[in-house]
Amino acid sequence: MEVFLGSGLAYARIGLILLVLVAAIVWFVPSYYTGLLTLIALYALVTLGLNLFMGYGGQVSLGQAAFFGVGAYGSATLATRAHLTPWLGTLAGGVLAALLAYALSFAVLRLRENLLALATLALGIVVTVAFNEWDFVGGSSGIKDIPGFALGAYVFDPRAYAILAWLLLLIGIWFAGNLVGSTYGRTLIAIANGELGAQTLGVDSVRLKRQIFVLAGAYAGIAGGVYASYQSYIDPTQFGFLLSVNFVLMSVIGGMRTLWGAVVGATVVVALTQILQTVVPIVLPSARGDFQAFFLGAILIAMLILLPRGLVARLSEARA
Amino acid sequence: MTAAIWQYVLAGVVVGAIYALVAAGFVLIYQVTGLINFAQGEFAMIGAMTASALATGGMPTPEAALIAVVVAAGVGGLCYVCAIRPARAAAGVTLIFITLGLDVALRGLGLFVWGTNPLALNAFSAGNAIQIFGGVLPPQAAWVLGTDLVVFAALYLFFRHTYAGTAVRAAVANPPIASTFGIPLRTFAFWSFVAAAAIGGLGGVVIAPITGATYDMGLTLGLAGFVAAVLGGLDSLPGALVGGFVLGIVEKVAGGLVSTGWEQGVGFLILVLVLLLRPQGLLGRAVRRA
Repeated sequence: MEVFLGSGLAYARIGLILLVLVAAIVWFVPSYYTGLLTLIALYALVTLGLNLFMGYGGQVSLGQAAFFGVGAYGSATLATRAHLTPWLGTLAGGVLAALLAYALSFAVLRLRENLLALATLALGIVVTVAFNEWDFVGGSSGIKDIPGFALGAYVFDPRAYAILAWLLLLIGIWFAGNLVGSTYGRTLIAIANGELGAQTLGVDSVRLKRQIFVLAGAYAGIAGGVYASYQSYIDPTQFGFLLSVNFVLMSVIGGMRTLWGAVVGATVVVALTQILQTVVPIVLPSARGDFQAFFLGAILIAMLILLPRGLVARLSEARA
Repeated sequence: MTAAIWQYVLAGVVVGAIYALVAAGFVLIYQVTGLINFAQGEFAMIGAMTASALATGGMPTPEAALIAVVVAAGVGGLCYVCAIRPARAAAGVTLIFITLGLDVALRGLGLFVWGTNPLALNAFSAGNAIQIFGGVLPPQAAWVLGTDLVVFAALYLFFRHTYAGTAVRAAVANPPIASTFGIPLRTFAFWSFVAAAAIGGLGGVVIAPITGATYDMGLTLGLAGFVAAVLGGLDSLPGALVGGFVLGIVEKVAGGLVSTGWEQGVGFLILVLVLLLRPQGLLGRAVRRA
């Protein structure tokens, strides 16, 4: 119980400082960077759920972009067709993604490692195909003019989105922190270290894996709901396999079995993508298109070989 | 209606033949290393792009094809040496992520070397379309199916009738014991990557005259190859062959009857169903629980 309260307070303190920091930054920097900050927070929220599922739970998902997409599409469809406010839409998006995860969990969570990776990858692609082919949600042209967030008469500007996204992220970290600091989190790690062993000790591993998969889905869905309103335009290409790979990259770079790693990973990947998009054409004028993907892939490989436990885990080891 | 479906089936046979080649490489690596190589489709991309680029530059097609296969095989070997071997002691999930990184990196590299424009490759032989019971196939289809025949026959002969092939089978059946008999597992892992990349590259070369070659063709081909391999049971070469054709035909028929967008979706729905209902695949033997 002590751990529970203690870590909760610690998270609240760091969270408050970060939030003030973000609020201060967005006040001064150009709106382009504010947009990047928003993106970082939303991606970090998805990665946070992924860290719980992959890092703590020892599972693997190559289809997390699908839940992000379901959240975005759910919220956008409800907003454009049923005139629901984005607040309720985002909530509904999170619930929808969680429900999808719940339904899928009965099928995919029986699988492990290799086969789980393939199954989640396949489901992710099926979801993208469904977005593409289902005219009710706009088919390949997507959904335009998605209403933005508003508080009373105040319509959100990019700064407000950044603060909202970081607030949600910090709530997500706080909740996840309480989770992993409790018996629940240790039980989860026990499953990761050896499912059979955990079962012998009376752990209902199937139930726990399902709960954490649903939670990861909800995180991704909520992030997706905010993303849809922030972008005001979504189409199926934004939620494809490559985004799922990017989420894995963020998770691995920060450190799968950490919580702040999600923030570090998302920041590194978003910043790196921006830097590469600027630098690569200068250094290699003949490079075309998304050539920076090469570096992201190479970094993923290098990280896994050199620092398999991620940047944050590495830093805490160095300090200890 | 029947005629239309027959035409879809024929089209499915042609793409299925390529899926089977990609799946064969995938099964080779899985058998020898226990690894699911997400970069498998990129080898086909490298083969197709290299051959098309060389042929566009004026090289005769046979030379271009040969060089393309060698380049793909070299890249496969490099992938193993640079990315897989340094991490071979790591947990299963880490290696999956590494091959995922390879996939992204190779596609980026393809973009850098060849750009975004699709390249074309001339058919290997001139000739009229082939007519089969009212359905039509492009002349290149004969080369595609012939390649499948040669590759799978060669694999069969290698594994059944050569000393090295028998040693590989021993290594797959029981690595520790094979190792005590002096069978070099690591060398086999290296050559499985080379062979898988060469077969994938060859598949890319022979399909390029039909589909064209683009830097991002590898993802689709690789994913289809996985589905085909899983259909066949992941560790069976005949299964890969059958899985490839089944997937190709189902995709094209479903795509023709429902909508082309669902082509890929259908394949993945099948993948999930097979993983759940029959994880040993269509042709697989008893389930092996690792």
